[in-house]
Amino acid sequence: MESVKQILVVDDSRVSRLMARQYILSMHAGWLVEEAASGEEALQKIEGYTPDLILIDVNMPGMGGLAAAEQLRARLPHTHISLLTANVQTATRNRAAEIGVAFMEKPITEARVAQLIAPLEA
Amino acid sequence: MELEANRLGLLESVLGAVHLGAIVLDTQGRIVLWNRWMEQYSAMPASDVLCRDFYTLFPEMRSQRIGMAIQQALVSNFPSLLSQTLNKSPFPLHANRSAAARGERLQQAIAVTPVTVAAGAGERHCLIQITDVSIAANREKVLREQAMVLRSQTFSDGLTGVANRRHFDVAIDKEQRRAKRNGGKLSLLMIDIDCFKAYNDHYGHQHGDQCLIQVSAALTAMLHRSTDLLARYGGEEFAIILPDTDAEQAMKMAESLRQRVLALDLEHRYAAEGNGQVTVSVGVATHSPEQPFDVPALIGAADRALYAAKRAGRNRVAAHQA
Amino acid sequence: MSFTLSELEHDALVEIFNIGVGQAAAAMSGIVNEAVTMSVPSISFLNRADAAALLGHRGEQAQRICGVSQHYEGAFETEAILMFPEDKSLEIVRLMVGELVPLSELTEMEQEAMSEIGNIILNSCVGTLANIFEQELQGSLPVYHVGTSEDILSASGSAADSVVMMLHIDFILEMHQIHGYVAFILDVSALRDLKEQINLYLSRVMGRN
Repeated sequence: MESVKQILVVDDSRVSRLMARQYILSMHAGWLVEEAASGEEALQKIEGYTPDLILIDVNMPGMGGLAAAEQLRARLPHTHISLLTANVQTATRNRAAEIGVAFMEKPITEARVAQLIAPLEA
Repeated sequence: MELEANRLGLLESVLGAVHLGAIVLDTQGRIVLWNRWMEQYSAMPASDVLCRDFYTLFPEMRSQRIGMAIQQALVSNFPSLLSQTLNKSPFPLHANRSAAARGERLQQAIAVTPVTVAAGAGERHCLIQITDVSIAANREKVLREQAMVLRSQTFSDGLTGVANRRHFDVAIDKEQRRAKRNGGKLSLLMIDIDCFKAYNDHYGHQHGDQCLIQVSAALTAMLHRSTDLLARYGGEEFAIILPDTDAEQAMKMAESLRQRVLALDLEHRYAAEGNGQVTVSVGVATHSPEQPFDVPALIGAADRALYAAKRAGRNRVAAHQA
Repeated sequence: MSFTLSELEHDALVEIFNIGVGQAAAAMSGIVNEAVTMSVPSISFLNRADAAALLGHRGEQAQRICGVSQHYEGAFETEAILMFPEDKSLEIVRLMVGELVPLSELTEMEQEAMSEIGNIILNSCVGTLANIFEQELQGSLPVYHVGTSEDILSASGSAADSVVMMLHIDFILEMHQIHGYVAFILDVSALRDLKEQINLYLSRVMGRN
């Protein structure tokens, strides 16, 4: 029986969250997927638990993905965290590296989600 | 029918005669057409390039706008426009051999469009059209320079004839962006005439004005590059923008300027430190491209340096890191 | 306005266009060597008159604006137009080109640059849409317009009762934030096609488990 992993998906777009959830569950039906619609909500959620992986959209109103990722990384040094963005440019790459998080291009596809959850399967 | 048989020959002649570059890539990105215009201006005969992979010949283009445009044509079936303004001469095309020797490329306007080779299951190819817009670009450059000259007449300080504050604000913004693009070091000098208020009070405003004129003329004479700008920043304050100048060079320039003003030997019996003549204090700040760019921060640093020079006794140069 | 989308359909469209402009921003960032961010905070469906009004009526006079349009057809047909309100018009071009030139002095070369910017943004938006809908489209090269918003929106000869899908666009470059619009002019059948495609997409994505 494989171990149950916990993933937190942070994106202001409901469709994006649903897609990520669907792709993850289609590969691992027993895993737990939590959702947050903003950076602020994500920070609140992790008070209660520690996910194994956080997927976080860069382009969100309010706090924004980069600021939230920075805080999440500070509070959860061992959780895998990956930024998701359609705008792949040097400034964002560098910022992700500085914060200490990974980086994945949007749109979200099954192949990309598979890549993102690979570290949890190892 | 005769017309049909001649058609291919006719089309080939036309492609050979048109005054623009035509390149066609197949679905795999291989060059399948390279017209006579391309042969002439690239100095690459068609026999050398046909059937070869485009990116093997031009590897740097894969990650540039043209690579994106080719991708969009072949995959999404969309045409793209590459303006001369935003894309500086992507193809190595030269007007003639001496231009090639000088490294002077043709100014290019490019359109990348999808083309289907045969109806029905036709494979999608990509047509790259290149137009030489050098003449138009140069004409625009001349017009723009003339407009700039006209505009600078409202950008000059009435008294001294040097650039005014408005000109400075525009210029520092422009130079900041240019430094960022080129990775150059931008230096700023803030120059203040020492005890100028006292000068005005005792010698009168007419003499004060003459002093300003002479000092600004002396400063102007020291600047040799067209990109360096002297502006009257405030009442008795001047600013000098020095692009592509590092901290050491800026300090040297600042010191030369200070000495040049001394050489004017303008009497100032009421100068605070008893120098007896008109002197300036200079604040120097340099920005490096590694730092995030911020014009107010650069000006603030130059101001702080100027203040330090004043406090240390005036008639000197001080530097501060932006 | 009889055309409405459900919340989920609307959300899907916003997300698709955010991906499109995100990719356009990445491309423009490569051109100017600066950080560029673009996002689509919202989408509205309006009639042409209301859409034109969004682009600024300062007092009695309709303002002159700049627009770049491209025509698309295939799986659905639309005229897509990138527009900026007058006081922001071409600030983007100036920022991208690095020159500070007043609108009236904008030269042909800079108009061409604006056309290219429109080309990048529109192809990216529509390309992402076509890609996600798994549909094939053809596009035209960009056409540059100057005029009132009414002039530009009616230039393609669409019917007065066409629906305009307005994307509100935020464009950020070097601490300048510029608000613009991408308008898609859609007639009744195009709207139907669009709604159908969104639903096909949602069922493809949602109906996995």
